[in-house]
Amino acid sequence: MLCKMLVPVLLAAALTAPSLHAQTGAAAAAPPAANPVDPAAIQALRDMGAYLQTLKRFRVSTGLTGERVLADGQKLQHTATARMDVERPNRLRAVMTSARSERELVYDGKTVTLYTPAQKYYSTVPFTGSLTELVEQLERKYGVEVPLSDLFVWGTPAAPLDQIESAMNAGQDFIGGDLCDHYAFRQGKIDWQIWITAGSKPLPRRIVITNRADEARPQSASLIDWNLNPAFTSATFRFTPAKGATAIEILPRKTK
Amino acid sequence: MRNPFTRPFAVALTVLALASFVAVPVADAAGGARAGNRGGSDHARAGGGGKKVQANNNRADVRTNNVRSTSVNNVNVNRNVNVNVDGRGCCNNGWDNDYHPIATAAAVTATVAVTSAIVGSIVNAPPPGCVPVNYGGMIYQQCGGVWYQPQGPQFVVVNPPY
Repeated sequence: MLCKMLVPVLLAAALTAPSLHAQTGAAAAAPPAANPVDPAAIQALRDMGAYLQTLKRFRVSTGLTGERVLADGQKLQHTATARMDVERPNRLRAVMTSARSERELVYDGKTVTLYTPAQKYYSTVPFTGSLTELVEQLERKYGVEVPLSDLFVWGTPAAPLDQIESAMNAGQDFIGGDLCDHYAFRQGKIDWQIWITAGSKPLPRRIVITNRADEARPQSASLIDWNLNPAFTSATFRFTPAKGATAIEILPRKTK
Repeated sequence: MRNPFTRPFAVALTVLALASFVAVPVADAAGGARAGNRGGSDHARAGGGGKKVQANNNRADVRTNNVRSTSVNNVNVNRNVNVNVDGRGCCNNGWDNDYHPIATAAAVTATVAVTSAIVGSIVNAPPPGCVPVNYGGMIYQQCGGVWYQPQGPQFVVVNPPY
């Protein structure tokens, strides 16, 4: 509704003489942008992605709050946490914990294992490839989502920045004591916000994703903590079955 | 977060059990501290899932399983974000996906009831001949057309995930 009203206005603004455009720009401190995609906000994403790709070893922890929408539109919140040890280009260990399940994902560059400690079941499949390829293949082939998988995708062609329909700077905020730049984006049925550490180490510290596909707009919020000098060793990425653990089959995702 | 779950239990527990209840937060705190510092050593904690206090959802209202959609956790993943609630649509593939899609449709319950494995019913052990499989990152016991998911020490009949 609002969009429909805005479009003619924006079109008119775009069609008017450049001098008028300059005048409005000078009159107000922060005039509404004629282009809904602020190039500076896109550049901030590009810079963050490039910086993330330079990080070779890190530990990242996240606390997530998500929402489920019930049949009548009532929403329930739930929480989960995850911790990931990462060594680019092809080593990952993730521990995912929520109320009813704890799971581990271990990738050493040759095989990837999904382990459920409570039942002591594990499934191992051969895989070689980058972490970007890993998160894509796990999702596509097995329906397994890696926590904060965006971290492995930003800064690569798999995270195209030209599909963002709206991008804006939303000011600054403190996340965990760190001053962050706050940006807001729209693409498809997803609205999302990100808080990126201000300064020379542009790390994502908080991500909020709003799903507009449902009128109840279920939203997830992830806080992200970083350790750029982790103490793990290469043994971290080697899966050794616990005593009594059993290998079970992992079924490929069925297409409906 | 943990206290609301553990306190009602603690009332009914013996002194001995109460002692172990007290020990749990201590152990957790130690694990949390380690998680912030070191890499290799805390895998033991991660692997000890069976010993921790587990959340119990047996008393959750049946309506909590009737999920029509969920939030999403990642921006750069193309997926259908709507959970299909017609009885076949388990697992929206979110990494935090821990809810059991039981009793989402009366029709499904009625159908499965014929085989005396009613969706949502809980057993102490799956019947003999069941095969453990991982689907969508979650553990199931598949027994022909009947699927169980672990719920604490027990198993709950769920709608088939596909």
